[in-house]
Amino acid sequence: MGVTKKYWTGLDELHGTEGYKESVQNEFTAETQAASEFLAEESLDETSTPRRDFLKFMGFSVTAATLAACEAPVIKSIPYINRPAEIVPGIANYYASTYYDGNDYGNILVKTREGRPIFIKPNKDFGEGGLNARINSSVISLYDEERLRGPQMGDAAKTWSQVDSAIAGELASASNIKILSSTIISPTAKKAVSEFAAKHNAELIQYDAVSYSGLKKANNGIIPKYDFSKARTIVSIAADFIGTWLTSNVFQTQYTKRRQPEGSWMSQHYQFETNMSLTGSNADYRALIKPSDEGKIAAAIYETLTGGTADTFEKAIQDNLDKAVAKLRENKDKGASLVVTGSNDSNVQKIVAEINKVLGNEGVTVDSSQGINFFQGDDTKVTNLVKEMNSGKVGALIVMGVNPAYSLANAEEFVSGLAKVKTSISLNKYADETGSKCKYMCPDNHFLESWNDFSPYEGRTDISQPAINKLWSTRPAQESLLKWADNDMSWYNYLRTNYNSSYSEATKHFDDSWNKAVMTGVWAGASMELSNNSGTESTSEGEETVSVNNISAALVAAKGAKTGDWEIKLYEKIGMGAGDHANNPFLQELPDPMTKVTWDNYITMAPSDMRELGIGDHIYLGQRTFAIKANVTVNGKTVNLPIMPQPGQASKTIGIAVGYGRGAGDELIGRAAYQTGEYGDYLNAGTDENAVRTPIGANVFGFVSSVAGDSVYSNIATLELTEEEYKIASTQMHSTVMGRDSIVKETVLAQFEKEKNKPKGMSTYNVMPGLVVHEDTNNDGVLDGRDKSHVRNFDLWEAHSVEQVGHRWGMSIDLGSCNGCSACVTACHIENNVPVVGKDEVHRHRDMHWMRIDRYYSSEIKSINDTETIEEKGLGVIGAYADMENPEDNPQTVHMPMMCQHCNHAPCETVCPVAATTHSNEGLNQMTYNRCIGTRYCANNCPYKVRRFNWFNYQAYKKFKHINVSQQEYGRMVLNPDVTVRSRGVMEKCSLCVQRIQSGKLEAKKASTPVPDGSIQTACAEACPANAITFGDLNDKKSVVTQLSADNRAYGALEEIGVQPNIYYQTIVRNTEA
Amino acid sequence: MQKEAAIREPLILGDKSYSQITEDVMAPIVGSPTMWWKVLITISGIIAAWGVGNILYLLGVGIGTWGLNKTVGWAWDITNFVWWVGIGHAGTLISAVLLLFRQKWRMAINRSAEAMTIFAVMMAALFPGIHMGRIWQAYWVFPLPNQFGSLWVNFNSPLLWDVFAISTYFSVSLVFWYIGLIPDFATIRDKVSGGWRKKLYTALSFGWSGRAKHWTRFEEVSLVLAGIATPLVFSVHSIVSMDFATAIIPGWHTTIFPPYFVSGAVFSGFAMVLTLLLIMRKAMGLEAYIHTKHVEYMNIVIIVTGSIVGVAYITELFISWYSGVEYESYAFINRATGPYWWSYAIMMTCNVISPQLFWFKKLRTSLMFTFIMSLIINLGMWYERYVIIVTSLHRDYLPSSWSEFHSTFVDLGIFVGTLGIFMTLFLLFARFFPVLALNELKTILKSSGENFKKADH
Repeated sequence: MGVTKKYWTGLDELHGTEGYKESVQNEFTAETQAASEFLAEESLDETSTPRRDFLKFMGFSVTAATLAACEAPVIKSIPYINRPAEIVPGIANYYASTYYDGNDYGNILVKTREGRPIFIKPNKDFGEGGLNARINSSVISLYDEERLRGPQMGDAAKTWSQVDSAIAGELASASNIKILSSTIISPTAKKAVSEFAAKHNAELIQYDAVSYSGLKKANNGIIPKYDFSKARTIVSIAADFIGTWLTSNVFQTQYTKRRQPEGSWMSQHYQFETNMSLTGSNADYRALIKPSDEGKIAAAIYETLTGGTADTFEKAIQDNLDKAVAKLRENKDKGASLVVTGSNDSNVQKIVAEINKVLGNEGVTVDSSQGINFFQGDDTKVTNLVKEMNSGKVGALIVMGVNPAYSLANAEEFVSGLAKVKTSISLNKYADETGSKCKYMCPDNHFLESWNDFSPYEGRTDISQPAINKLWSTRPAQESLLKWADNDMSWYNYLRTNYNSSYSEATKHFDDSWNKAVMTGVWAGASMELSNNSGTESTSEGEETVSVNNISAALVAAKGAKTGDWEIKLYEKIGMGAGDHANNPFLQELPDPMTKVTWDNYITMAPSDMRELGIGDHIYLGQRTFAIKANVTVNGKTVNLPIMPQPGQASKTIGIAVGYGRGAGDELIGRAAYQTGEYGDYLNAGTDENAVRTPIGANVFGFVSSVAGDSVYSNIATLELTEEEYKIASTQMHSTVMGRDSIVKETVLAQFEKEKNKPKGMSTYNVMPGLVVHEDTNNDGVLDGRDKSHVRNFDLWEAHSVEQVGHRWGMSIDLGSCNGCSACVTACHIENNVPVVGKDEVHRHRDMHWMRIDRYYSSEIKSINDTETIEEKGLGVIGAYADMENPEDNPQTVHMPMMCQHCNHAPCETVCPVAATTHSNEGLNQMTYNRCIGTRYCANNCPYKVRRFNWFNYQAYKKFKHINVSQQEYGRMVLNPDVTVRSRGVMEKCSLCVQRIQSGKLEAKKASTPVPDGSIQTACAEACPANAITFGDLNDKKSVVTQLSADNRAYGALEEIGVQPNIYYQTIVRNTEA
Repeated sequence: MQKEAAIREPLILGDKSYSQITEDVMAPIVGSPTMWWKVLITISGIIAAWGVGNILYLLGVGIGTWGLNKTVGWAWDITNFVWWVGIGHAGTLISAVLLLFRQKWRMAINRSAEAMTIFAVMMAALFPGIHMGRIWQAYWVFPLPNQFGSLWVNFNSPLLWDVFAISTYFSVSLVFWYIGLIPDFATIRDKVSGGWRKKLYTALSFGWSGRAKHWTRFEEVSLVLAGIATPLVFSVHSIVSMDFATAIIPGWHTTIFPPYFVSGAVFSGFAMVLTLLLIMRKAMGLEAYIHTKHVEYMNIVIIVTGSIVGVAYITELFISWYSGVEYESYAFINRATGPYWWSYAIMMTCNVISPQLFWFKKLRTSLMFTFIMSLIINLGMWYERYVIIVTSLHRDYLPSSWSEFHSTFVDLGIFVGTLGIFMTLFLLFARFFPVLALNELKTILKSSGENFKKADH
């Protein structure tokens, strides 16, 4: 034992000769010396290369140079040494969390793959309401490379300790410190702010980019909670409550619940508005009013209901008004109606609040006793702050999650005031319009990197948790405030302690409750109270709840609204909101639900007005028909924007969306926020790196008017046409359905009630597409032309055996429920790695959306068989078709989600020369990208035009470098690893989320059960806040989709051409008279 | 020997002898190129190079360099394809069908018409290739054994039928053309003295000796090939038309397409033959062999095929109304009155109205008028395909997807480029190949030659 065998390399070592000892000492032998001398640059001059070695060296050099040229691929993946228990490569993890950005609020589930958040979907089990497109596509903003990566003092990057000590010093000496924040609905953040405020004697001023202070004022300082699901009659005066107004995503779910004709009752919706809003497009009755009439309409409703004498309006408006009032009367005292207005004029809001009281809606559809915690901003206070800043009285200003230098009507004054504030600190995530002008920038974490708690209303507390470690050296804004209040606690500990200390039950259970809250996203314990004690100046509370108490004064004020020749109504777009999403390429590329325009801001105008102005040739916009630009001047400010025709716009009014023109000073707000040209470079950028980038659209927050101190989003405008033409990129150039009733079927409620028990295809509004057969199919004993068989029963060749064999995936889309909000479009875009292609490509009609929403307006001539109207107009067939291309002035709207119909007799499949698109044995029409050679024959032969071709290599071609996330180092992390990124030259289209079907089947297999109905959801079905889309197995007799596909309202689009689609649509039922 | 009525106009004018025919045809081959030839080949070479540059740009960047979009997936690419295939019809019709019908007047024109066919089909074949998104996988359209498992082509697809139809047509036309060239190559071989030309023509003439046995075999093979080629004349364009006819797009889904396409192809093919020959006879001094009589015969074919095309257009319109199918009738109303009405108007004017002018003998025997007409017909037939493809696609079933097509410089560059390549090839042919089937012509010299006809009297 203890004897270890010894080995030696040779006799030299055994004997320990001198030569051996020397060689051990000398690592580099004489042979290697020459090469190292040669390689060492400094000694190169001294070395002489002997003639005999010349070839050796040359050989070495050539080989070395060659090897150096072949760059070995650098693989940056690092294997887990100790794999975290919850992460299995290839399996997604979901984290319940909450989204809140000051405007939108949603309970979300964050899908992460290998630690990367890649998708946001609604937390249906524990959340309220669905998610809109803005929320579900916000995941990409996490990876935005222009987000601040650490604290900065001016342009100089600093460490946190450097800025902390500098700020601590400045704050200690500063007087009159103000915190300007978006509405804080986080109880713990409020506490942290209070702590900071107490320490520094600071005041919190809450500010909303789009203000609701008039609504708040009219309701005694409370934003009421509305419930649209209980209202049989809904009257909305210019409130886009399913698109952007208040908690629209919650309203949308409530609203669509009562738009089902099969339910016990269906609500009737009246809309009085100026612009064609998403909400207005879903209304049963819609009247066009000028913005100055909003108050007058409200007053008329109030006066008629209370028995007074009301103003009268022109016939079209008056008819709708009379009908609406009659319906409101019917539901009076039952709490079964709801009147809302989108106006922020406190007088108009006051009248509407009174109307709801008169109707007895208080406590049922309106709850103004408790209200919601959103939008607590006070415009008067912000105005005062700007004044104070300009007079140099503000010592320090902390900006938190708002961008007043962009979104204030008097932004210039704010900027000039900001220069006078000695210590200005921005806690925004970007060096945006406001942040870049602040002395310090202390970037907040992205919401997917943050802990938070939110109290949307009293009695509910939601938890937000990080889904990824922070990417860069950012810090929660609350932690920064705590730090500067000399509290060194981390934000997470502060938050947790706050809950622990207020937890009433035995503390030992706290961990369980907390973990459950983190798991579900909802705090189940006693709700946290959102302290309203926002600062030292408690007197301000009194001012905040200034209310309008005098209804008669309100009526007078509302009726006396200023009118003008041209009136402008500002609105928020579904994609852009108040402008926070300007850098989000998915939202920029999302077609606006009404105009279908992408990547742009414009003036909406009624086509009739355009004809009157002599620009009637610029209504049908296409690739070579451009929009005309106009100068709009309001408040002495002018913007130059293109005119977009908008049927349904009130005459002599224009609409412009806020939220555009971000980054006018070339701030670093995100690469996709700026205009790019035909070859992908920033417009105006040229080759100069420092040149100013051009923002998209123009900022019209400056057009906001002020009524009684509140920001009102309408004004009097002057309009001046220019000669300049402008390209507008719209995904849909044609607006009407041309009377093709096999595409869109609709009826009215009374007719539906009469025929709802008839089998599918037998009602007048849903006629079976049949072919006459020599067989007595209608059992009348006679063989004649009435004996028809459904077109689905005819086959030219043997059908694919998918009926009753295994699965047959299908979908049902309720056109009555779908209100066009487009949340499905962005969800599909992100789930399936659909490329973003930018404005120039969309303008060439090459958008890549797998899922789109077709929007049709009604035309005066309903179809070519509408002989009555055609004769009335004195038109022939050709004239009638031409006339049908024009929408009505106040059209009815249809939103029709359209994606691959997965036809059982797919015309695309037969024409592919290489069988790259085939039918699966589960009824799916599937694309084999690897096999596709790109003849585009399939796309030509698709009657639904849903196939999308990869015209370029979107992942590498220079044209897409700024907008396509897959070309960005961080951006590409959002790609879904389950879905192939398609190469140039192949066709792609909706796969019915086959990756989800496969994983759902595997789950069922593991559990040894049949696939449960509803366990597999496509991205669009999951995202739909209106539950309009149902996905399932058509071979499962009990599945919801099977029942829906056989129901009275079900039909297949273009079914008569015999392609046998697996997607069913449900007929629209409108709650109108005819 | 065959006798021909004296009142029939002679097919070979002037006082020609066998050796003179040989000399006339040989002149451009043995002589040095004329100024005109140099100028023309320079221009067409530049255009061809521009076209090749555009093709390389297309292949480098992607199909997005064309003006296509999500709704209109084919436009100039397939228009050019069908147009070139159509042009490629005249050669085989002239050499095969007219051979079977013993039409002697074809002998003066068949060689160049066949050459035109070969080059036109080459241009046509280019487009289905470059219109693919992934041209580097183009070989997948052939049913080749492969290592991808049981992966096979889709025999239901008309595009696959196209592959077979075009490749068969091309190879048969090529063989037919070449067989006809052999005796003429041998004549050249015998005439040129030494150098590379001797070697080249010796190789090309396959050891032709002019023995009676060779001539017998030559005649037999020609007849057999004519028999094979004749159905091909009808099948190729019928199959090309099925790309559209079997689709479900209104305006494409039409059973009338095969005969309509074939007559349209012959119509445009003859127009292109006329365009080329009228230039060639002047430039190469072949007025004695290709003259008014030949032109008149061809113009008669143009009236017949043009009228068939006209009837087809009107039948389409009638059926679209008679069918009562909304989409179908709208497709045709839109064609005539929609955003692309101008292309429909060009098509109607060029293809239906203008050929009817050939009923006037004075016009159909006027060479200048014929030349202008041939250009008009070529234009009209290009627009016919453009109308069928673009106007049917741009407004199909769902109005939400209605779109429009606007070409880009790459669309134009490639089309013009193929004209350049085609002209370059044709000029090379005119310089190095016998442009008239001289040995065949010699067979009719004594029956249809002007001098011999006079001598008979």
